[in-house]
Amino acid sequence: MRFIARYAKELKNHFEVITIYDSEVQREVVSLENPSMKTLAKRHPAAVWFERKIQDDFGIKFSDAYDKRPLVHQERFAKDIHPMRKSFTQKSIQEEEYIPYKYEEISGDGVFQVAVGPIHAGIIEPGHFQFSQAGEEMLHLEVRHFYKHRGIEKMLEGKTLFDAKAIIERISGNESIAYQICLRDIMLQSSKQELSQNLQKRHALFLELERTIHHLTDLGFIPNDAGFGAAMSFASKLAEDTRRKFQELSGHRFGFGAVDFSIDLIDRVSFLEWLDKLQKDVDFFEDWIMDVPSLWDRFDTTGILPLKKAVKYDTVGVVARASGISVDRRINSFYLKHGFEMASEISGDVAARFKIRLQEVNNSILMMRNFLDENVEEFKLDTLNDGEFFSFCESSIGELFMSIEIKDGVIERFFVRDPSFINWQAVHLMMRSDIIADFPLINKSCDLSYAGNDL
Amino acid sequence: MIKFWNRRLHEGKVTEDVHLEKELDAIKKEIKDRVKKKFAGSLAIRMVDSGSCNACEAECNALANPYYDLERLGIYFVASPRHADVMLLSGVMTFNMTPHVKDAYEQIPAPKWVISLGDCPMMKAPFEQTHAINAPVDKHLKIAHHIAGCPPSPLEIMQGLLEFLGKI
Repeated sequence: MRFIARYAKELKNHFEVITIYDSEVQREVVSLENPSMKTLAKRHPAAVWFERKIQDDFGIKFSDAYDKRPLVHQERFAKDIHPMRKSFTQKSIQEEEYIPYKYEEISGDGVFQVAVGPIHAGIIEPGHFQFSQAGEEMLHLEVRHFYKHRGIEKMLEGKTLFDAKAIIERISGNESIAYQICLRDIMLQSSKQELSQNLQKRHALFLELERTIHHLTDLGFIPNDAGFGAAMSFASKLAEDTRRKFQELSGHRFGFGAVDFSIDLIDRVSFLEWLDKLQKDVDFFEDWIMDVPSLWDRFDTTGILPLKKAVKYDTVGVVARASGISVDRRINSFYLKHGFEMASEISGDVAARFKIRLQEVNNSILMMRNFLDENVEEFKLDTLNDGEFFSFCESSIGELFMSIEIKDGVIERFFVRDPSFINWQAVHLMMRSDIIADFPLINKSCDLSYAGNDL
Repeated sequence: MIKFWNRRLHEGKVTEDVHLEKELDAIKKEIKDRVKKKFAGSLAIRMVDSGSCNACEAECNALANPYYDLERLGIYFVASPRHADVMLLSGVMTFNMTPHVKDAYEQIPAPKWVISLGDCPMMKAPFEQTHAINAPVDKHLKIAHHIAGCPPSPLEIMQGLLEFLGKI
């Protein structure tokens, strides 16, 4: 069974801890007075962050856990507060006494620690990486995040789905369409309606356009981190072209507000022409980049995530597919009918993740042709019913999971698991035989989201 | 690599959107002149994200692509606040980032300026106040200029930088 997520919610007389697997949902009852339960991390190591988050948010203890450190609550955070409890209503907290965080460290003769972040050298999001080094070799890495924690889950409680939409689409800028599609599916489940084929196709078109932009950006950045700047110039131009097209079609460069229930006409001829041109440029890029030996010298065998580890850590998305796992939320009849082919590599290194992105860009361009339609349509959403709803979507990073419980017409509990939340926990496994100078390259090849992870 | 150079030689300079290129050229020229006059030809920016959705960062990265190519005008995104003249701050100023943002600001040598980027730092984005947010950012730092937008496009960022250069 593939582990997907674990989260808690507060009910009237007890807590409920929900564990989501790919084939089943398990619910456990935990008492309010003495909240304690057993860890899942011995079987599914990726459950650690979920459980540490539950501990911070609700104060539920995991009695047999090997890692009981706070996760979201950093050094200066108020002690003994649990913001996701219904009784917590404060809108601000004071900085408290600084209690140092105890990093996972390997010590010994000549072993030293390298701390990187939270503010990094480039234009990227904040997060902390702590390395235990023996010379250049990385012995261990601890990834520590949640600097961008905005309290999104708490922020959304008490809002209607329509009021929440503008916030949900801005949780992670690179995956906005995927978040909107997850919300759309929850709205449809709640109103007990089916979406028309035309609207499905239009939203899928936006999702593939978003994926293309994200992958093209990475196809430039990954070689750039290996010192090959020319690829960055070329790919960033293609990414900018695609972003401008995205704005033309959706009204926004990042697609904020793009997924709604009406279809505007797309100029079919000019879009197909544009796709042809993009395909030609991507072909040229592929032909050129595959033929630069010094670059592949850096990519091959760097940052290997072996299949066994990838499965053990329940990884998803590009990272999982590069290690040989066939996991993709688009494996369904709708996508297969429109030309979806799952990208797959087995070597699990930077090269594999790079090639996966290339394959997916090509496949996305093909699918976008098939998603084009000329029908104009309006869809009317019925009244939303209360209940608990789950939805999934394959974002450009991987499988996105969202769960919303609606009570009296407003959100009672909002939970979302960005693919990055799982994959970040597997990043330290990729450092086994590499030197610290390879770290930026390995990190970029996964290109995980910090904002979606931290919430 | 030969294929790459062949293509460059044969195609030459390609202008895709003549109207936009003209607008860009005018802004670029003005930015270059003012950077030359006020910052001796080199303006160093330290970008700090204090809890954005990453769209503002993506647009700043886009400033380096061949369409905008900000480095040609003497504006550099530098790796350390100690090399910087200006801090470009995005995001809602999360509780967890606040001490680090202040740290970075302290490390910038005077004279220094803070430009806030996007709607988040001013709490104008759809996000609402929670315990984990310390916005608006002008509670913590003196803001010299604000570039609005969610996110501001690369062109709007360039216009904003130009306005900032006119202000000081």
